[in-house]
Amino acid sequence: MTSIRLLSAASTIAVLSIAAAAPAMAQTKFEFWYGLSGDLSERVQEMCKGFNESQADYEIVCVSQENYDNTLQNTIAAYRANKQPTVTQIFDAGTLDLMLSGAYMPIRELMSSNGYEIDWNNYLSGIASYFSTSTGEMLSLPFNNSTAVIYYNTDALAKVGFEGTPKTWEEVETVARAMKDAGYECPIAFDPSGAWQWFEQFSAIHNQPIATKGNGFGGLDAEMVVSQGKFVDQLTWIKKMYDEGIIVHKSKDAGETANDAFVNGKCQITSSSIADHGTFGKQAAEGVHWTNAMLPMWSDTERTNSLVGGASLWTLKGKSEEEYKGAAAFFNYLAQPEQAQTWSTITGYVPVTMAGFEAMKANGFYNEAPYKGRELAVESLTFTPPTENSRGIRLGNYASIRQEMVKTMQDVLFNNAPVLETLQAFDAKGNEILRRFEQTYKGAQLP
Amino acid sequence: MERRAFYRNPVLPWLLIGPQLLLVLVFFYWPTSQALYWAFTLEQPWGGGNSWVWLDNFIAIFRDREYWATVARSAFYAICTTGLSMAVALFLACFVDRSLKGTKLFQSVYVWPYAIAAPAAGVAFRFIFAPQSGIIGSINQIWPGIWDPSTNGVHALAMVIICHAWLGIGYNFIFFLAALQMIPRSITEAGAMDGARPVRRMFDLQLPLIAPTVFFLLIMNLISSFTDSFGLIDTMTEGGPVGSTEVMVYKIYFDGFKGLDYSGAAAQSIVLMFLVIALTFVQFKWVEKRVHYN
Amino acid sequence: MIERSPVFNIFTYAAMTLGLLVVLVPFWIVIVAGSQSLQEVSRVPIVLWPSSHLWENIQAAWARADLGPKMINSLIVASGVTFGKIVLASISAFAIVFFDFRARMVCFWMIFITLMLPLEVRIVPTYAIAANALLPFQVVLDTLGITGLVQTLSSVRIGLEWNLLNSYTGLILPLVATATGTFLYRQFFMTIPDELIEASKMDGASPVRFFFDVLLPLSRTNMLALATIMFVSSWNQYLWPLLITTDRTNYGTVVMQLKALIPTQNGTPDWNVTMAGALIIMLPPLLIVALMQRWFVRGLITRDK
Repeated sequence: MTSIRLLSAASTIAVLSIAAAAPAMAQTKFEFWYGLSGDLSERVQEMCKGFNESQADYEIVCVSQENYDNTLQNTIAAYRANKQPTVTQIFDAGTLDLMLSGAYMPIRELMSSNGYEIDWNNYLSGIASYFSTSTGEMLSLPFNNSTAVIYYNTDALAKVGFEGTPKTWEEVETVARAMKDAGYECPIAFDPSGAWQWFEQFSAIHNQPIATKGNGFGGLDAEMVVSQGKFVDQLTWIKKMYDEGIIVHKSKDAGETANDAFVNGKCQITSSSIADHGTFGKQAAEGVHWTNAMLPMWSDTERTNSLVGGASLWTLKGKSEEEYKGAAAFFNYLAQPEQAQTWSTITGYVPVTMAGFEAMKANGFYNEAPYKGRELAVESLTFTPPTENSRGIRLGNYASIRQEMVKTMQDVLFNNAPVLETLQAFDAKGNEILRRFEQTYKGAQLP
Repeated sequence: MERRAFYRNPVLPWLLIGPQLLLVLVFFYWPTSQALYWAFTLEQPWGGGNSWVWLDNFIAIFRDREYWATVARSAFYAICTTGLSMAVALFLACFVDRSLKGTKLFQSVYVWPYAIAAPAAGVAFRFIFAPQSGIIGSINQIWPGIWDPSTNGVHALAMVIICHAWLGIGYNFIFFLAALQMIPRSITEAGAMDGARPVRRMFDLQLPLIAPTVFFLLIMNLISSFTDSFGLIDTMTEGGPVGSTEVMVYKIYFDGFKGLDYSGAAAQSIVLMFLVIALTFVQFKWVEKRVHYN
Repeated sequence: MIERSPVFNIFTYAAMTLGLLVVLVPFWIVIVAGSQSLQEVSRVPIVLWPSSHLWENIQAAWARADLGPKMINSLIVASGVTFGKIVLASISAFAIVFFDFRARMVCFWMIFITLMLPLEVRIVPTYAIAANALLPFQVVLDTLGITGLVQTLSSVRIGLEWNLLNSYTGLILPLVATATGTFLYRQFFMTIPDELIEASKMDGASPVRFFFDVLLPLSRTNMLALATIMFVSSWNQYLWPLLITTDRTNYGTVVMQLKALIPTQNGTPDWNVTMAGALIIMLPPLLIVALMQRWFVRGLITRDK
């Protein structure tokens, strides 16, 4: 008996949810899922509030899914259940997954069919290349974009008598050794889960391929080539520094993240996203002075541009006209110069358009603390025109490959696994993932 | 044991059993068959379609060295947690079985771990075993780096195993005590008259008599080591470092939901299902045999 | 009992106390750490004695993990599972034990087999159908050609859809769909003497009357046992809720929130707040087990054997 009641209650819910999906009366509500938490999540909520107050036709409901992985996972679950949000934020590593999903509405189409004019050529080259198709069309809207930089504790630098900031890894090593000798327990904080800054960005600025076919831009049959490039030496160096206690393991498993160790003054050098520039400024413990610089190079190499990181906004299929109108209005709101500037100011994310960057530079935004230093991210992103190896990573299920790199680095550091063999195993594992992806989307063409 | 007095009614029993059957069909049989189907196909994560690949998924996992490492790790994990938990529970049950004054109090506390959610225990034990915090931290201060589950896989696995074993104490204790109390007093007394010391009696008399319970618990613990471990591992280590605490259920979750490889995960699920079914089957056989002897 | 030697008695007490320590130390540490301030909990070595900050830590944990609504969700889910299970299990066991119908043994085995595979083992397949639990029926309709028939006749296409994502039904039903309770009730009903049924039949009572007037009152202990077991196990569910809720704010349960309490987000190792949170999350099932021990122990043993 009860079960019948339960079932009927359930079907009521099902009916209700169908009703909810139907066009509402006056104000159209639509959902936006994002993968930021903590401080950044609050910033997103403020932005949503701003949009809702700016007009009366639409109401955006912004839901945090805590992190990028969860957002992707839950978006998929929801999409399969036909309960997807209208807009979702997908991180760089999920770009190809989305491109082949067939689950999205291309941003260009969305904007033009709703009567908005966007200058698609205005995006920073590195950003545009990462998120657009082979024909140069952007399918999603770049939203929160960043690149990796290196952060230094200036007091520690001063203490070892270094002026300015180290530009090469050789200098970093010298400085870090000096710091160790000067009694600092943790010269460089290293979190293996930071494969993005320690591995991907390293490869990009040193113009090293991660996979063949221009990191996968040339086709789904790309193969991993990490064990054949400079990263072998880099990881060997990291391991050596780790064994000597110059690089220290900091991660959430170890109780303190690299960033926390840095802002608390326990570690003197860390590498992280420019997006943390704002957070560092707010969280730095008293007496901790710091600065940032472009990622170091090995001295005998030429710098190429760094990779864009962060996420873009995708509009998902299967929603109503009204909701798409709302999404387009929201994107348009984000693209307003003052909005874009506020967003970059309160976080550390780079302005995504050239015009935005120029305007902020002209305003003198980058000249003074606390924003000084952020221009280095744009400089790093646009240092050279994107090359085959630095325009982006277009590999299927790349989030899993990134996870394998985390394991690889842990294995080398913690278990003394031989560097070359472990990286070869990483390539093999990566190839398996790629082949599986290729087979899953058999016959699919890269857009 | 067949019942003679039956009601006969063409409709009523179906009405009574219908809801349960319906639920079981929808939430058990259908999904299980679906899993079989997925295991033989490559499913696109976004549900865009799939292609039939015969045994490719199984071949892929069986050829994967990491998968076998996970299987071996799961087996090790299962044996350690089962052994540890049952040993502690049996030890306690034997003493409680002596029914001294005040035993009831001890007895009721021993059951408590049964009530605790695995992730809650995971969080608590994570603090207890955290290398830099209060309890283990002081040992680490004396010998730096002697304990660090965040980088040392052996430590991490040990930590999860201890926590899992602790969680099982309550359940195992309940069964051991019940089994011990069912042994007729006359038998133990006769043993005592013969001059057998308590420890001897334990091994020669009681243990053989409660063998069915031991066996039953063995199977239940092995199965629970596959199921309950997820909440623990997810809150304690997330399978790390370097996959050293990744057991089968966790790998299924990770490959399927984080790695977006539903088909591979489905194939792994099928393997795990067969394993659990085999274990249960062994148990049924045993129970049957025991019934025959009785 | 047998050895009454005081030495052996002392040894017994010592062993039991040791066991008490093994079982209680984790609880004790949770309480101690949960009652300390950040400074106290960060001290190495830690002072293993409770301090006075329990209440404020609980408040902090309550706010951080948004435990209010989550507690209500957990309660709804646990009670839903418990209630659904008792009702379904008792009536289906009633049918299996007391009725003579042809598919009786088939039904019994169909339900009984579900005992073998815990939800965690079939997580991928169950997840697959969560998007639309009515899919099997749709498939049946499609294969039988009914969909097509109806479509040609009335030009309405039957599209059955019932997705479980972010719903209490999704959290509850898959947990109800196992044989645990059915088996327990069956074991109990088997012990009802035939004479009782005969007598009831003689009085001219219908099977339904017999169920309500005789069986239900007799199975009260059984019910309490099952209720305890089901409440505890459904309260403690972790993996399933994790997958079936993308809307944590509205449908998250407390146990899911434990991970959010681990101090990694904000940098300060405030384990005191974590432990206070863990304490309140583990408390409801612990209280139930402690209070209902007598019944549930008996139930557990009959269920699983």
